[in-house]
Parts: sequence; C-alpha cells; structure tokens
Amino acid sequence: MNGWGIPGITPRIAGAMVQDWGTHDLVALLVVTQLFAPAATLAAIGLPALFGRPFGERKTTRLVGAGFTIGFVAGLAMLVVLAARGYAAEVVHLGTWFSVGHHQATIELVADGLSVPYVCFSTGLCALVNAFAGKYLHREPGFTRFFVLLALFGTGMNLMVLAGSIDVLFAGWEFLGISSALLIGFFHERPNALRAAVRAFTTYRICDVGLLAAGVVIHRAVGSGDFDRLFDGTWPTERCLLPAGTAVVVSLLLVFAALGKSAQVPFSNWLPRAMEGPTPSSAIFYGALSIHAGAYLLLRFESLLDAAPIARVLIVLIGAGTALHAAVVGRVQTDLKSMLAYASMMQAGIIFAEIGLGLRVVPLVHIVSHAVLRSLQILRSPSALHDRHELEAALGGHPGSGAWSLRELLPAGVQRQLYRVALDRGFEEMAIIRGVINPVWTLLERLAGLEKAWTDWLGRSPRSPRTGRDGGLG
Amino acid sequence: MTVASIHASMIILIAVIVAAPLVAAAAVAVGMSRTSLRTPAAAGLALSLVVSLGITWLWHASDGAAFEYGERLGGGSLIHVDGITSVLLPYVAVVELAIILVAPKRFLDAKATVRSLLSAAATFAVFSTAHPLALVALWIATAVPTWMSTRGTPGGRPAARVFATAMLVAVVCFAVGTALMIVDPPWERNAGIAGNAGGWLVALAVLIRKGIVPFHSWYPSLYSGAPMSTALGATMPQVAAYTAVRLLIGHADHGDGVAMELVVLSQLALLTAVYGAALALVQRDLRGLIGTLAMSQSAMVLAGLAGKEPMELNGALCIWISSGLALTGIGLVAWSIESRAGPLSLATPQGRFRDAPALASFFLLFGLAVIGLPGTLSFVADDLIVSGSLNEQLHAGLMTIASTVLCAIAVLRGWFMVFGGPTAIDGPRHLILQRERVAMTGLLLPLFLLGLYPAPLVRSLERAAGQLLGVPVEEAGNPPPSLQESSSGS
Repeated sequence: MNGWGIPGITPRIAGAMVQDWGTHDLVALLVVTQLFAPAATLAAIGLPALFGRPFGERKTTRLVGAGFTIGFVAGLAMLVVLAARGYAAEVVHLGTWFSVGHHQATIELVADGLSVPYVCFSTGLCALVNAFAGKYLHREPGFTRFFVLLALFGTGMNLMVLAGSIDVLFAGWEFLGISSALLIGFFHERPNALRAAVRAFTTYRICDVGLLAAGVVIHRAVGSGDFDRLFDGTWPTERCLLPAGTAVVVSLLLVFAALGKSAQVPFSNWLPRAMEGPTPSSAIFYGALSIHAGAYLLLRFESLLDAAPIARVLIVLIGAGTALHAAVVGRVQTDLKSMLAYASMMQAGIIFAEIGLGLRVVPLVHIVSHAVLRSLQILRSPSALHDRHELEAALGGHPGSGAWSLRELLPAGVQRQLYRVALDRGFEEMAIIRGVINPVWTLLERLAGLEKAWTDWLGRSPRSPRTGRDGGLG
Repeated sequence: MTVASIHASMIILIAVIVAAPLVAAAAVAVGMSRTSLRTPAAAGLALSLVVSLGITWLWHASDGAAFEYGERLGGGSLIHVDGITSVLLPYVAVVELAIILVAPKRFLDAKATVRSLLSAAATFAVFSTAHPLALVALWIATAVPTWMSTRGTPGGRPAARVFATAMLVAVVCFAVGTALMIVDPPWERNAGIAGNAGGWLVALAVLIRKGIVPFHSWYPSLYSGAPMSTALGATMPQVAAYTAVRLLIGHADHGDGVAMELVVLSQLALLTAVYGAALALVQRDLRGLIGTLAMSQSAMVLAGLAGKEPMELNGALCIWISSGLALTGIGLVAWSIESRAGPLSLATPQGRFRDAPALASFFLLFGLAVIGLPGTLSFVADDLIVSGSLNEQLHAGLMTIASTVLCAIAVLRGWFMVFGGPTAIDGPRHLILQRERVAMTGLLLPLFLLGLYPAPLVRSLERAAGQLLGVPVEEAGNPPPSLQESSSGS
C-alpha cells in the first residue's frame, strides 16, 4: 500500500516519475485511470446537458467512447502487469472519505485475479455498446440522457469491481441500480416502461438492504469495511478472517443482496419487463453486466461462503430453482427480448449454482462467455427479426422447425400443466402481487384515507353549515 | 485575532444576519423598490448568507469553542454560537435565499414577501440563541407568518386551522414547560416533579412542532394548503429539532448524556420516519408526496438526535442538512412546474418531461440526493445514522433502513409519474428561468460537494456533537471497543 491520499496524488505521481517507479505505483496509476476515465466523461457530458447546452451526437459518443477505451487499455495493461506477477493482489489506498470515531469509510481499490479480468471485459463491452448505441439511437430525443446514464453505469461498474472495501462496493452497486432503473424507463412516454422501471428499482432497493446491513455488520465486527480485514491471501485462494457466526450472517445478507440484481427467484419478475429499455442498454445490463453483478458479489466474498455452508446450500437451491423456472417460462415467450431475458436468467441461475458448489474460476469464465454471447444476441435481435421477416417473405410462409424437443416425451396432460405454469410465469409474480403487494398497498391507501379524513375534520370551519341527516339542507 | 475582537465581531455578525432580512422587509413594506420586490428581498437574504459564512469562519478561527453572550437562563445564553450553529446558519440562509429566488412572480406581492422575510429573520434568530424564553418567543414569531400566509391562500383555510391548532398547543406546552424547567431545572440532582414535568412538556412541544406521530397531521396538510414557500420555510429549518438540541440534549438526567424525554421521542420519531415514507408511496399528488417525505426525513433527524454516541448525532445533523437542501430543491421544482402547468397529480403519468426537461433533471438530481445516491451528502448521512443506530439498537437500525428504502421508492415513483407518460398538451416548452437555475444549482452544489468531500463537515459536526454529549472525540481508525477488548484478551 503506498498511501495515495487524494490531495497528494499529483506530487506522488510526479515524484514517482523522477524516482524509481515500482510495480505498485504503476498498478495504482492504472487503477485510478481505469476508474476515473468513465467518471470524467460522465461529468464532461452531464454538466453541459444540465445547464442546457448538451454536446452533439458525435462529440457525445466520442467522449464516452474515449473514456471507456482509455479504461479498457488501462485494464489490459494492468492485466499484463498482474499476470507477470502471478496475480498477486495490489491494494490501492486513495484516502479516507470520512471517519467518525472508530467508523471509517476508506476509498480502497483492489487489483487482483478477479477484479482485473472482470474490469477489462466490462469496460471493453461498454466501449463496444457505446459505438453501437451511437448509431442505433441516432436522432433519438434522449440521446444525451442515454450516454450520461451509460457513463454512470460504467463508473458504477468499475467502482464495484475494483472496490477494495464494502463502502466503495456499495457505492458502485447503487450507481448500477439507479442507472438501470432510469434506462428501463428511458422511453418515458410509454406507461409500461415506467411501470417496469419502478418495479425493477423497488426490487433493487429491497435487496440492497442486504448489502447495506452486511456493510454495517462488517464495520461493527472489524471497525472497517476494507477487504484486507476480511480476507487473507489472494483470490481465488483467500481465507476468511471473520468469526464463523459473523461470516454466516454477512453471507446470508450478501446472498439476499445478490438475488435482486441477478434476478433470482423470488425476485426475478422484473427482468423480462426490463427489456422495455433501449436495446443497447438491455444488452449491457440484462445480457452482460448488471445481471451478473450478484454473481460477482458472491465471487468477491467467496471465502466468507466457505465459512457459511448454509449460505452455499441456499445459493445452490436458489440458482437451480431459478434456472429451472427460467427454462420452463422462457419456452412460451412470444417476443424475442423476453425469450433472451429468460435465457439470461437461466444462465445466471446456473452460475449461482456453480458458486454455491464452491467453484471459483469456472463461474468467472461462465460469466464472461455468457455475457459476450448474450449481449451479441440482444444487440442483434432487432435486425434478426427483420431478417426473419425477409426469410418468411421469400419462402411465402413460416420456415418451420424440424428440431426434436424433449417435450415430445412428456404425456399430453403434463405438457398442458407445464404450459399453464409457464404462461403464468411460474405463479411467482401472482403470488407476490396477491400475497404481498396488494395487501400492503390496500393497507397504506386506507391509512392515507384515514389521514385525509382526520385532517379534513381538524380543518373544518366552526361556522360552516352542518351537513348530513339532521342539519343538511337537502 | 484576539478573543475580544472575535467576540465583538461575532455579536455584530449575529446582529447583521437577523437585521438584513428585517431591513429588506421594511424596504419592501414602504415600497422602496417598485419595479421588483425580489431584488431587495434577495439582497437581504444574500447578505445574511454571506454573514452566516463569516460566522462559520469566525467560529473555526476561534478554535471551535462555543461563543456565548448575554443573559444566561436555563442552560442557554441569549446569543449562542457553536459547531451546530456554524453549520446550520448557512444552511438556513441558502434555503431562504433559494425560496425567494424561485418564487413565481405572481406570488411575490408585498405582503407575501414581507412575511417570508420576517419568518426568515425569526428563523435566523432561533438558530443564534439557546435562551429558553427567547426560543418561546421566536417559535411564535416563526409560526405567525406561516399561519397568515396559509390563511390568505385560496383554499388554504382548512390547512391554516390545522396548523394553528397544532402550533397553539405546541407553544403553550413549550412556554409552560420552559417556565417549569427554569424554576426547577430537571438536570440538577435534586430536581422535583415540576422540573421533570417541564422537561416532558417541552418534549411534547417538540413532538408536535416536528410533526411526529400522532401529532403529524399538520405537516402534509401544510404542504397541501399553503404556498410552497411557506411550507418549505416553516419545515425545512427544523426549529423544533434545534430546540431539542438546545434544551434536551446534553442535560443529562440519567448519566448518559441524553434526556429520557428525547429517548422516548426518538422511538416515536423512528415510527414516523417509516410511516411517513410508507404513506409517501401511495400519495396521489406531488405536494402530498413532498409533505410526507419531509415528515419522514424530519423525523429521522429527531431519531438520530437521541443517539448516545457522536456518530448517530453526526448522522442526524448530516440528514438535517442533506434532506433539507434536497427536499427544498424538489419543492421548488414542483412549485416552478405548478406555476406554469397547474397542480400535479400522481394518479396518472403527467408527461412533463418534454415540457420541462431541465426541471426534470433538477428534480431527479434532488431526488437522488434524498435517497442517498453515493457522492451526495445524504449517502454519508445514511451511512452514519444507519451504522450509529444499528450499533445502539437493532430495531432502530432496521427501521432506519426501512425508511430509506421506502423513501427511495417513493421518490423515483414520483419522478416517473410527474415526468413520464405521454405528453398530453402540445403547448410551449416550459424553459427554466435563469434565477431558477441559479437557485437550484446553489442547492445542488453543497449536496454534491459535501458528498464527495465530506470530511471537513463531518469533522466539524463530530466536534460539535461531542461537545453536546460531553463525549471526547475518538481517534479515527481505532477498532471498536468490543474488538479492543477481545484482542487484548487474546
């Protein structure tokens, strides 16, 4: 740790340039570049837009693209440096954000075998989607808004992945949630998009309670949120430093937090509706990065899961259940993006199961490969539909499908039941709406009604004519 | 600077901060500025803002010792400046100035402007004193303009009656309670029944004036019936929370630095924080949403004030400022849109994004600052208050978390309902005015700057909180006591 305080960054860099440059200094510079490149573009395009002078389309795309590309190149350089050193973790301390008594919120980043490959792939993907979106959203009224939110997402993603403390991770996690909700509601004139955005944000916030509470428990236990007080060693062979009881509590809270972002049962129903957003954001959020944020969180805290077998069992059950649910429900979807959403959900479920089984590198490889494939599919989906229509027009009808399906082995009755389950989305949504949302909403509306009646009574005029049976005029 | 010169400067500055809005009010009342009433009003409040920053600087220059001047009664002096004052005075000045800058032209007649300025002067005076009798008088001085303004609004009489009823009871409780506390100070060892009863009456007054369940009804009602400036001016400074700080905190009656009355209030405040946030979810109009959110956030401040450790108190003070600035911003955006397009319902999407894109952006940024977006002051505040309350009581921490979650959902739903949906009216675009942009940027800047670099504010509040609780400031970075014990044991 070289102790880079924020005010002292420039002198330290200058000093390092004239003196001997250590590997740590180089990694620190690359990590900071990685983090601040998208953040700088966020400010560069966001502030002029806020003051009523947004940049043109080309300038906006180039600026955001430059931010992601610089981040990507810095990530690759970091990967080379780390690979040369056998992926030994480097912790970059940027200072203490604030502290009260023994409670400290430090800005600490970590470059290790998990964060560096992940950040390379995420910034690279963001750069590609940025290039695609520049053409796809040409002349769209919310063009600048999209890129502001994409830059916010990229900043949040880098912050979450490179986080060396739970405070920094939580900050990145929140950026992901808010940018995701705002992009789902991007086409704000469509009521369905608004409903989907509120639904997704509600799920995120409920599950964020897990991460917030985990952070507080960790602070309470070790006096800091820094990962080097939680784990010992280098990913993927870290060892948990927390007492067993605390590790179990923190693990369960983290699992709860991961369920929302990764659309795992019973918090999965927001995902298909999230496809209301523009195709580029759907690709990067729900095909590639945001959907795997929960899995990344669990991978980051893998060593805690080692000390919490109950959490592992829970992850396997939830992951397998989600995969099965998504496989069945996805079969009956009638639009391409919903089908792809369920396919993403299924793969995320399998990745969860892999993490629950104690695998570490396999889920990471699975995440990267799935993300690349799925985002390509989602980006291709509008033109794929166009191609399909052209094919049908050329053939003069439906091309048909001769593929054999497992479904044919099932009796007709079972098939019917499965269809019913699939068409009702596994009854998951219905159960939540009927069992939780409707009763709570009704109760709150009644309370609001009582409040109104009470305030009206308090505010009535003592001289106003009495109405009703015994005093009314009618 | 010598101590004497610091004292003399402080007295002059306190006099100026209160006098500036009074002089502006006199100028408006006698019709000195016929072309624009906003100019003298804004000039007076801008001077107050500059002076408040001067007070902050002076307090820091004097090594952070509390400055007291004038008659001392019941534990408080006529002029009292400490760490809390040094932070809250600029905050109040920013809020009052922003309100005047954004006020629509047709609202700013001479009477309304004079009332706003008188209310502002009384609020500055509240935050400069710790004298119980002065506080009683100033409670009345801040409530009367609010009542008159609400009463004079078309359709505002019911809200004015609710407000008057609540304030009348609160002021009577406060006056009687203060008298009893002066006669028989409850913080002295041999206090009698009268002193303790006085403490509970003051607590009851705080409870009513802060809109804590079950005395909360006036809060959303005021937002529905009064002009937005009146509602914001009456609730955002949080005069009752300041009174609690001066009269209840630090007067240890059971050895842990917090009066028992405040501990009871804090439990009710926690309930209010959750209840207000839950009610915000089902509001059918924007003013109702802002009123219930303000009620919830204001209750959170009181809940934190009862904390036994500086961290919780620090979090409460941060929420005081962050939620106050952010909710003022939301209220002003709502007022700007209402003045152009009429009342805003939340029952169906209103489709205002196309009409007012800049106002939509400001609403969103203020909303994010309320819900604790990282990089805003409310993120720091939430972190401190959640950590502090969970350290102390599990249920308090969980209720705080529940409140923040519900508030966040309500804010984002509100934004989507106001600005989302098909654009219904093919009318002219409601471009933001320059003075509106300046005011809203002025509210946003401290929220984001203090969020990105909160250390000086947190340090300053930590010192003030420590002084109030009589707790020495801990060395940062030390592990918590439990860990120290376990490590020494091993």
